Amino acid sequence: MDRKVVVPGDLLSEEAKRSGEGTYVKDSRVYSLLYGLANFRDKISVIPLSGKYVPGVGDNVIGVVKDITFSNWIVDINSPYDGLLHISEFPKRIESDDMSKYLRIGSSIMTRVKDVDPTMKVELTLNDRKLGQIKAGQVIEINHTRVPRLIGKGGSMISMLKKEVNCNIFVGQNGRIWIHGSAEDTDLALRTITLIEKEAHTNGLTDRIVSFLKAEKRARS
Amino acid sequence: MSNVISEIKKDFIYNLLLKGERADGRKFDQYREISIQRDVIKKAEGSALVKLGSSQVLVGVKMQPGEPFPDSPARGVIITNAELVPLASPSFEPGPPNEVGIELARVVDRGVRESKAVDLEALCIVPGKQVWIIFIDVHILDDCGNILDAASLGAIAALLSTKVPASKFGLGEDYILPIRDIPIATTAIEFDDVLMFDPGVDEEAIANTKLTMITTADGCVCGAQKSGTGMLKPEQIYRIIDIACEKAKEIREKFLEA
Amino acid sequence: MIVMDETDISFFKDGLRLDGRKADQLRPVKIEVGVLARADGSCYIEMGGNKVIAAVYGPREVHPRHLQEVTRAIVRYRYNMASFSVEERKRPGPDRRSYELSKVSREALEPVILTSFFPRSVIDVFVEVLQADAGTRTAGINAAAVALADAGIPMKSMISSCAAGKVADTIVLDPMKEEDNFGQADLPIAMTPNGDITLMQMDGRLTPDEFHQAVEMAMVGARNIYELQRQALVKKYSQMTEPGREEARVQ
Repeated sequence: MDRKVVVPGDLLSEEAKRSGEGTYVKDSRVYSLLYGLANFRDKISVIPLSGKYVPGVGDNVIGVVKDITFSNWIVDINSPYDGLLHISEFPKRIESDDMSKYLRIGSSIMTRVKDVDPTMKVELTLNDRKLGQIKAGQVIEINHTRVPRLIGKGGSMISMLKKEVNCNIFVGQNGRIWIHGSAEDTDLALRTITLIEKEAHTNGLTDRIVSFLKAEKRARS
Repeated sequence: MSNVISEIKKDFIYNLLLKGERADGRKFDQYREISIQRDVIKKAEGSALVKLGSSQVLVGVKMQPGEPFPDSPARGVIITNAELVPLASPSFEPGPPNEVGIELARVVDRGVRESKAVDLEALCIVPGKQVWIIFIDVHILDDCGNILDAASLGAIAALLSTKVPASKFGLGEDYILPIRDIPIATTAIEFDDVLMFDPGVDEEAIANTKLTMITTADGCVCGAQKSGTGMLKPEQIYRIIDIACEKAKEIREKFLEA
Repeated sequence: MIVMDETDISFFKDGLRLDGRKADQLRPVKIEVGVLARADGSCYIEMGGNKVIAAVYGPREVHPRHLQEVTRAIVRYRYNMASFSVEERKRPGPDRRSYELSKVSREALEPVILTSFFPRSVIDVFVEVLQADAGTRTAGINAAAVALADAGIPMKSMISSCAAGKVADTIVLDPMKEEDNFGQADLPIAMTPNGDITLMQMDGRLTPDEFHQAVEMAMVGARNIYELQRQALVKKYSQMTEPGREEARVQ
């Protein structure tokens, strides 16, 4: 069997080199750090069912500005850690006094994690054409542990979804997702994403989603 | 969690409202599923666990003899307290009840007291010296919205299951506490001119006006409380009273089965 | 009010205790995982007549800021008893006993939590005793450990807790109320499944030999409880991975 439910402290292997994410090594043995599903491949990793979003470098996230200092926007990214968007990471050169004119408290942004230091100081950036302030469309929140399932292997699930519902979709690793399209298409996208979140851990999900979308679109026409 | 997050949720709820919908698909005057389990805490003289949707409230009733208040020497005493313990919500902090917790306890108390559900004169043991003291302790376990209605339901359900512990104090045999009415609290929020009953936690966060009506078995209002920083028109209040009486009757009927 | 003292009770009758148990028998245990919607992790436990619920929030931002540690998460544990949980109504709020229990309980769990994974944050553990029947601190720690796992907090291992006592010159496992009140000693412990002890308290009077016996007995009890904690967690996961069974969590 290559998958198993484990709890913290469960012995996973006698080969220390197989230690992957969610595990630790003691006396050359590999143990689980988490309550979740252990995957037994070359490396053994444990995927948790729940837990907070911890920002990683390169993650796309959707944030909400919660405060403005002299040179930083403080951004809530649905994590125990806030993101800092420095004025130099804004795509345009602006003055400190004008910061709130461009992004005020409450503004939502599609942004990326530029750096995370050992004290968990998180730096964000908007310096990319695909990033920026959210002005239209809708944002929903799902459990961040379901995001990998929503994206799928090599992006397969999300590309299929974008094509089938004909919407712009930005998936934040922190569980926030932006959808922009017609009212009808957005509604279908929302319902599909909710379904994926609900059944993320089950088998045969991709096929079920494909059938779901087919049925919904047929019902429309 | 910062308050700014409500921006995302606020928009989401508002968009649904424009379509005449609520996030969980309920009608505007529809209550979530209610479950009431009585007598769950054996150490208490009466108790009830109420689930209202995902909200969970546990109420315990303890009784002991004590001194009456000087201005009512032949009447029993009811003391209602609510603990909004930190385990129930990320926004509850440890410590003595703050204004929200105190308000909740006092509104629950109002329902029990003003409906005269408990005959306080019958709780007199020795006039001027000894009366029964009833402690109603509300313990919030999971705040998923509208814990006030859940607490009020829990209080009357716990009272209905209460046995007076007379034998423990050498005051005769234990007997069931007689209850004369079943007050039910019904709460609605007002948002953009729409009235939503039994608000969920996100709906509560975006609304700034809340109105609670407590009604009795014969359709009278025995308590009311407007809270929040918004405003209400009299017509909205009268509409809420009508729906409150209807909802309370439904809940009371289901209740008497419970 | 009827007052009892030790001479009134005979703790053993035909080799069985007041509630029919043998000396080394645990009271019935029931464990439910994930019982609260708002908390990040939660657990409800019944041990004998004890009804205890634990919730975990975190890691989350620390307020006030000055409490934060730059290199790790701080752990906070708050043990609280509901007013109606005991025979004579208890005034709400912490007392000296709950402060002490909170401290030793936190110290029972902290050794296995990987706090270095979450600098500048706090992991909050809240335990509410809804009904008390001797052994609330051990029930609280058992529920807290499961709640921590349920919240996805990384831990080196689980922690399980159990007490032993001495009544009528006999070492017994998991003392009930009368044994706790009128017995000769009470010894709660908490440990990892490997037998590393993270909590130990004792009051009463025991010879070194009796102390030895009590610890051994409590450790066996804790090991049994570990199996029950593990079962409850595994059962919950299997229920969640069936299509259509999991409830969409309200964010």
